[in-house]
Amino acid sequence: MGYKKRMSGPVKKNSTFTLNITSMTDMFTILLVFLLQTYSTDDVQIIPEKDVNMPVSDSTRNPIAGIKLIVGKSQFKIDDKVLFAMTDLNIPTSAIDPKDTNFIKPLFDQLEAYNKTLPDSDRTKGRVLLQADGDLPYQTLRKIFYTASMAGFPQLKMITLVGGN
Amino acid sequence: MGRKIRPHIEYGSEFELDLAPLLAVMVKLVPVLLVSSAFVQVMMIESDLPQVVQAAIEEQEKPNKDEILAKIEILPLKDRTLEVKVTKGSDEKILRVPASNGAFDLKAIHNKLVEVKTLNPKVFKIEVRPDAEVSYKEIVKVMDEARKSRDIKNVYPVFDAKQGKDVTTDFMFPEIVFANMMEG
Repeated sequence: MGYKKRMSGPVKKNSTFTLNITSMTDMFTILLVFLLQTYSTDDVQIIPEKDVNMPVSDSTRNPIAGIKLIVGKSQFKIDDKVLFAMTDLNIPTSAIDPKDTNFIKPLFDQLEAYNKTLPDSDRTKGRVLLQADGDLPYQTLRKIFYTASMAGFPQLKMITLVGGN
Repeated sequence: MGRKIRPHIEYGSEFELDLAPLLAVMVKLVPVLLVSSAFVQVMMIESDLPQVVQAAIEEQEKPNKDEILAKIEILPLKDRTLEVKVTKGSDEKILRVPASNGAFDLKAIHNKLVEVKTLNPKVFKIEVRPDAEVSYKEIVKVMDEARKSRDIKNVYPVFDAKQGKDVTTDFMFPEIVFANMMEG
């Protein structure tokens, strides 16, 4: 005990020391390069929804502006507004027009309202960006295509994830 | 003439570069980029065409042509068989690609569509009529197989009006129309 005390040198109090930040700068440089590479400069930003498992395609076309329809397993949304809840990957019967089994009434009303308010010069006019879950059956999609085209949105753009073969 | 005072220069001395301002910039930049970066890349399916192919499609849609172009329909069926219906005038041919392990045989579908395209190089548009039970992701996969040739040897002639000569393209059927959308 006494030996240890004698051998340890004088303790400097309030001394300054320089932090070696070179390795930290290296790390940040790598991170910065990676982030700059993944940074997207597209004018349309599509944020994938949690509920929507979009299909994978080898299409290389970047998304363009349009009204966003988000059709997940549990919800049907237009832009950020929830229109109705889905039932087993299908449109609920309450949302279907009894006279026409392909006609989704709330979707038509909403799209028609958009169509009336949008000026003719608007880039989104007549264009729908469909973010739909890959498991949806065609019978559900057909109802959406049909209603959108009836509401004056015949240009349907299907959003897919990058991947493919 | 007094004695010149020469500054004392120490050669080979070490100095430490002050990295603190650089680090400060990076610390601010990294969170900004982290927030605005798109880690999941999304794309869009529509007519993804060079102009000559677009012109060929428009040419195909013009009536009063001497040459009758074939009408090609693909029918993804619920048993995961794909039917390719080629109609030329009164002549109708149906080709079948059976399912493989309960799913669409994408490779065979692609090969079949290459065959059809080779016989009809001027046709760029096909109609899709999926069964109600076929899923969206399966339809997208079939559309991928129809859009472009995967083999670089399979190219098709297109007349480029600007250059006044035939050019080649690897696009097979870039324009895909859902034909049974309005059917009940």
